[in-house]
Amino acid sequence: MKQELIQKIKKMLESGEAGAVLFLRGEEGDITPAVASDPADAAIDEVYSGDSKFLMAAFACLVEPYHNEKVAVVMRECDRRMLIELAKHNKIAFDKIIPLSIPCSQQLADACVCDHPVPPGCEFDTTTRPVTNEPGGTEPEDGDRLSYWMDHFSRCIRCMGCRNVCPLCYCADCALDNPELLGPEMFPPDIPIFHLIRAIDMADRCIDCGMCEEVCPADIPLRKLYRNALGSLKEALDYVPGLDLKEKSPLEVLGEPGQLGGMEDGYRRE
Amino acid sequence: MADTSLKKDQTAKPEDGNEKIRILAFLCNWCSYAGADLAGVSRLQYPPDVKSIRVMCTGTISPHYILKAFQEGADGVLIAGCHIGDCHYLKGNYATAKRFRVIKDLLESIGIDPGRLRLEWVSAAEGEKYADVIASFTEQIKEIGKSPLSKSMGRDVNKSKAQVADESV
Ligand code: SF4
Ligand code: SF4
Ligand code: FES
Repeated sequence: MKQELIQKIKKMLESGEAGAVLFLRGEEGDITPAVASDPADAAIDEVYSGDSKFLMAAFACLVEPYHNEKVAVVMRECDRRMLIELAKHNKIAFDKIIPLSIPCSQQLADACVCDHPVPPGCEFDTTTRPVTNEPGGTEPEDGDRLSYWMDHFSRCIRCMGCRNVCPLCYCADCALDNPELLGPEMFPPDIPIFHLIRAIDMADRCIDCGMCEEVCPADIPLRKLYRNALGSLKEALDYVPGLDLKEKSPLEVLGEPGQLGGMEDGYRRE
Repeated sequence: MADTSLKKDQTAKPEDGNEKIRILAFLCNWCSYAGADLAGVSRLQYPPDVKSIRVMCTGTISPHYILKAFQEGADGVLIAGCHIGDCHYLKGNYATAKRFRVIKDLLESIGIDPGRLRLEWVSAAEGEKYADVIASFTEQIKEIGKSPLSKSMGRDVNKSKAQVADESV
């Protein structure tokens, strides 16, 4: 795939379809993001197409404002979904981005437990099949659930890795820094509120890339936590973030009666 | 190492601790707060375990406030506002309804009884409904028991396991 990718990048720059291309270069273990605007740029020949992940969406947000022409970005499906969500929140001009989508290897898809390793419209040949099982272990039944989660949360060292790596956590004023909600500099943080604030705020924009869980030094099953919130959005309000540029989150629009997640008559547990 | 202290808390009933339950109610200024007022001037009897916070519209209630209430040991949280269609800001309570659904599901998914949350539409004329809601919610919370997150239940959730272990030595 590497050779095809090099050809594709060069062709895009030569034809003027894109004014610049964003990609990763280097060898496994020594990868750096790169921008090329000249097809003769030697960096293009070093393009990386392996399994290491990098937040190309965040990189694209940094670079895009400095280019007047269109910018092509070598990206996985996760990155494309991140970009769609970021574009919905006005963080990037999506029409200036040309997604140069690459498929993930089977090995990576298995590791990620990912049901979308091959982007729609991907031009590269691949045999990778989606993985459809539920990621992470099973949560215990009702009675033990809270202990299960509190045990996990209690290991949190408040490193902020989950927030910092998240491409959709862009707020300048973060609720996790609000002293009215959480003891400032409290260590370990108040639980479960620390993790629940993130979960509720991610509920309508998490694209389930799993980066947070990967960086968490305490091995907290964050992806599962956010998937629970995503599940509620899907079931109650029929919304999945990251799929459609035009579809707004139901939590961001007022909406119509009949689309209130079954809460039209209030809620009381019988 | 499994933490068993929490499991004990979950099954605790009020008679174990003889403690008062604490319910926090967010009341919309235009409807439910006035409804509560009406219940008061009509001299309707309802249980006194509820602390209320008046807001200008239920649409102003951030989900963070609800989380904070539970973090601070509330045993139940009630949100009461105008009926759908009667919100004084037209659709503020639409937002409330949707947020409520997501936060209820999230809390349920980490093992908090959804019975600890309630969403009711109570108009300014429904003093009786207000009294009923408070009575039935209080009853329900008493049945479920003190919140497992409540600090007064013996385990301070803000203490690390190491701190708890230190103290028990
Ligand atoms: S989650 Fe899927 S699309 Fe994202 S990196 Fe893993 S395999 Fe690729
Ligand atoms: S990455 Fe893990 S340990 Fe760090 S703040 Fe997030 S949840 Fe806590
Ligand atoms: S004004 Fe009462 S819910 Fe909006």
